[in-house]
Amino acid sequence: MASPRPSPGTTRGARVWDVPIRLFHWLLVALLGFSWWSGEQHLMDWHRLSGLTILALLLFRLYWGLVGSPTARFARFVRGPHAVLAYVRGQDATRAPGHNPLGGWSVVAMLVTLCAMVGAGLFAVDVDGLESGPLADYVSFDQGRLAAEIHGWVFNALLALVAVHVVAIVFYLVRGKNLTAQMITGRSQLPDPRPGAIDDHQAWLWKAVLGAAGAAAIAIAVARGFRF
Amino acid sequence: MSRLVTFKTGSLVAIAVSATLFTSTLAASAAPSASAVVATRQAGFKKMGGAMKALGAQLKSGAPVKAKMVAAAQTIATTARGQGKLFPAGSGPAPGLKTEALRNIWTDRATFDAQMAKLVTEADKLVAVSNTGNAAAIGAQMKATGAVCGGCHRKFRKET
Repeated sequence: MASPRPSPGTTRGARVWDVPIRLFHWLLVALLGFSWWSGEQHLMDWHRLSGLTILALLLFRLYWGLVGSPTARFARFVRGPHAVLAYVRGQDATRAPGHNPLGGWSVVAMLVTLCAMVGAGLFAVDVDGLESGPLADYVSFDQGRLAAEIHGWVFNALLALVAVHVVAIVFYLVRGKNLTAQMITGRSQLPDPRPGAIDDHQAWLWKAVLGAAGAAAIAIAVARGFRF
Repeated sequence: MSRLVTFKTGSLVAIAVSATLFTSTLAASAAPSASAVVATRQAGFKKMGGAMKALGAQLKSGAPVKAKMVAAAQTIATTARGQGKLFPAGSGPAPGLKTEALRNIWTDRATFDAQMAKLVTEADKLVAVSNTGNAAAIGAQMKATGAVCGGCHRKFRKET
């Protein structure tokens, strides 16, 4: 945000990211790296497992965007062009914690790209016809090869988005806002009385467990190619 | 006189044209164009890839049909026999020729040919194992055959 660093005395530490959001974020970072590495090494059993875990993470994130804590919800951070323009011009009056109007669209772009990445991977077939995604049996060899090509193209788009993401983090860091620390601790300094902060209590726990179980069940069904 | 000259010129042209046509036809039948041979070998590899995928799908289905597995294995074995001959000199990467074949196929021909021979051996084993209908053994031989595909691809095919 373009605001100067808040002076001490008028701010208080407050929770801005809940535990599931932070777990989602850092697991995704680790699994993206692992997926790339295992793909490069042709360790396809590991690559499939990693991709399916990312599928479960994405399913959970979509669910959490509907029922999670306020900063996780799409309804809160997916804003119209007016809000985005106002933010870019430094006229955003709300300065609510969480994704800003521009960053919200970066999150949407990354989630959509990740879904495309996983979606293409599920149907992808390697050039030997030996290794394939769990749903490749439902498509022809040529279609599977096309899915593999798309999987490769989308990866480049994903790399570009990750680069933009990292550049943005450095941009805010230079301006005195450490977003990485916030994503680790979940906490930020907010002006008292902390408008927009999320609750510290554990009300999210049962919803998160339910969502994680559902996401895992769907990912397992996909891994089996819907054969039971 | 002038009619005779015209006749002579006309027949000379006709002879020249037919000679050219004849030579080019001969050349075409003796050495198919590089792009044609690339297309043929690519179609062959695609056929084998598709057969491998079909075989894998049978195994994954949980209720594999033996006839389908044998047919897929035979497609691989039959096609594999011809593939090695589809890499004549001049069919490597060149401007205007769309191929993922690497130049070292022609500089390290002995290794390439050995891989191709190994493919035929493994594919023949795949046919034999498919005939037994033993899913575990077929799966193992499928991996062994695929390993030859992958090993050769990593060495001699442009990674895309």
